[in-house]
Amino acid sequence: MGDPVAQLAIDGLTVGALYAVIALGYTLVYGVLQLINFAHGEVFMLGAFGGLYAARGVLPGGDGAPGGLASVGLVAIGIAAGGLAGAVAALGLERAAYRPLRRRGAPRLAYLISAIGASMFAFNLAGKEFGRQNVPVPDLFTNGTLLRVAGAEISTQTVVIAATALAMLLAVDHLVSATRLGQSIRAVAEDAECATLHGVDVDRVIVAAFVLGGMLAGAGGFLYAMTFNASYTMGFVPGIKAFTAAVLGGIGNVRGAVLGGLLLGLVESFGGYLLDAAYKDVIAFAVLIAVLLVRPTGLLGARLGRAA
Amino acid sequence: MGAPSRRLRLLATTAAVAAVVAAAGCGGDGDDASGAKKAYAIGFQGPLSGENQQLGINAYNGMLTAVEAFNRSGAQPFTLRIVASDDQGVPEQGPTAAQKLIDVPDVIAVVGPVFSGPAKSSEPLYSQAGLLSVSPSATSPQLTDLGFTSFYRVISPDTVQGAAAADYLAKALKANRVFSLDDRSDYGVGLSASLEKALRDQGVTVVHDGLNPTKDYTSEATKIIAAGPDAVYYSGYYAEFALLVKALRGKGYDGEILAGDGSNDDQLIRQAGARTAEGVLLTCACGDANSDPRAASFVAEFKRVNSGVRPGTYSGEAYDATQAIISVLTRNGATATRTSVREGLRAVDIPGVTKRIKFDERGEVSDSTVYVYEIRDGQRVVLGPTSTLTKP
Repeated sequence: MGDPVAQLAIDGLTVGALYAVIALGYTLVYGVLQLINFAHGEVFMLGAFGGLYAARGVLPGGDGAPGGLASVGLVAIGIAAGGLAGAVAALGLERAAYRPLRRRGAPRLAYLISAIGASMFAFNLAGKEFGRQNVPVPDLFTNGTLLRVAGAEISTQTVVIAATALAMLLAVDHLVSATRLGQSIRAVAEDAECATLHGVDVDRVIVAAFVLGGMLAGAGGFLYAMTFNASYTMGFVPGIKAFTAAVLGGIGNVRGAVLGGLLLGLVESFGGYLLDAAYKDVIAFAVLIAVLLVRPTGLLGARLGRAA
Repeated sequence: MGAPSRRLRLLATTAAVAAVVAAAGCGGDGDDASGAKKAYAIGFQGPLSGENQQLGINAYNGMLTAVEAFNRSGAQPFTLRIVASDDQGVPEQGPTAAQKLIDVPDVIAVVGPVFSGPAKSSEPLYSQAGLLSVSPSATSPQLTDLGFTSFYRVISPDTVQGAAAADYLAKALKANRVFSLDDRSDYGVGLSASLEKALRDQGVTVVHDGLNPTKDYTSEATKIIAAGPDAVYYSGYYAEFALLVKALRGKGYDGEILAGDGSNDDQLIRQAGARTAEGVLLTCACGDANSDPRAASFVAEFKRVNSGVRPGTYSGEAYDATQAIISVLTRNGATATRTSVREGLRAVDIPGVTKRIKFDERGEVSDSTVYVYEIRDGQRVVLGPTSTLTKP
């Protein structure tokens, strides 16, 4: 193989797109609540298991991976089930760990603690239910080199992940900027009280933000597990990375999360190759700190919808 | 009033909790009805949870097989029970897990630690307590050089495995360029160092890299492929190796992929996927009891005790380690102490299911055969000992 630049770029963008998908969940919730949902990584993990078991359940028996339309269908089922599981998990989280506190007007710190508690509960429950070994997603298609671009080998799996992530990112961007729900979300993000006066149901909008973020994280979890296998602890590191991506781009800013995710993926990919793969995380966080020193609100600035 | 009575109540509560914990620790199946016989406990230390738990469970089941068979025979004036202590396979948990066993007075010896990292952190405690530990599987070479007085193992150190693997790479696979990657654990570093030294001695070009378990091997795979090796050898455990294999094959790497004993488990096939794992080679200073006719009765007994499960990697070794301890206890009868068992182990010479169990003065087992396994159609198949595979 020749120059690995193209390869590293493609790998970085692929994992970065996943970070972006997860980061959107942080950003949406932050937008409406001005809170970091620290249990978001667990939503991602539960989505991965949801998708995995759904795919395994409908996978026809026999040797070899299915092909053609069956593969497309299976992947779609996995992604949809992952999204559904993530949405349900996020909904449950909002009901159990956030809403009761919101009703009582609890201080910020209480939300943080209750989210961490919910996170521990979720991953320990998952460890008990799904086992503490890594669990692979079954082969839903024959993975191999699909195309070669500038010396980079692009596998079928990479295409599936990147295409799905891209589609989701575009859909969310459209939803937030051009639909009625998006308008409500932006209104609540800007000024919750004022939005209420204008007839926006804030509770509903908050639930919508959680569900939307959960769906993205769940589907992202399934995509992530196709490459890295699922395990009950899988939510932690990608959760932190996505949080980093969200802050890097400007927390609360949808396009910022996408930019932050892609950038983080690229930095990790090249950094891991040029220095040492063990320094990957160090490089990622060094970049974050450097950016925040220069631009404390992130690259595109905080705030959903419009600049603060 | 107040303080003293409260302290008393606290004491009573503590005692009650301790009693409950102790009872729970014994397990439900201890029938104390016999009463007359002396009851010894043998400790077990290994990963019973965590992502590499399968190797610990394999070993535990092997130990259980030996203990159950012994208790059923009833020929001796004592009975045995197991006290298990989970170290999750990580060094930080080692001392706690070891102390738990040391604190149980009737634990007379320990089978374990299963992994090298926890062994290194636990052995100072065992040596200090004078409690014998016989590891079925901790292969880091330095373990017998650190002055531990109560450490024995029934598996060869990785100097032996590394040299045999190098031999196999150079002579049987005719590799000119090998990429050696370790997981930076005590086990991985020991194995990769031994392998690389032996490879260089054979005139093979070696590219070394160390990488803590990371899950994401995409950029590492790019790096490996860019280095253009004929073979990749991973010194680490199966949960990570499975992901490395996936990343390498996903990028179209078509050279040989090998790993050491820590990756030698069916979980590798499950986690990497049978198709992806096809053709992966594994080296291990352990034979496969399932395909060894001499171990047939062990396999049958193992399946009986463990509800049909086949022995896995280290099951036979743990069985042998337990048998070695039992043979000393048998000689001591009802008067065994931690000291007498520790000293008695030096004289053990029994035919085990994996090899002849006999130790040198450093605590190493004398037999040193290393086997090569290949994954074929989703199964681990023994190709044979390296000594025969490398014959021209």
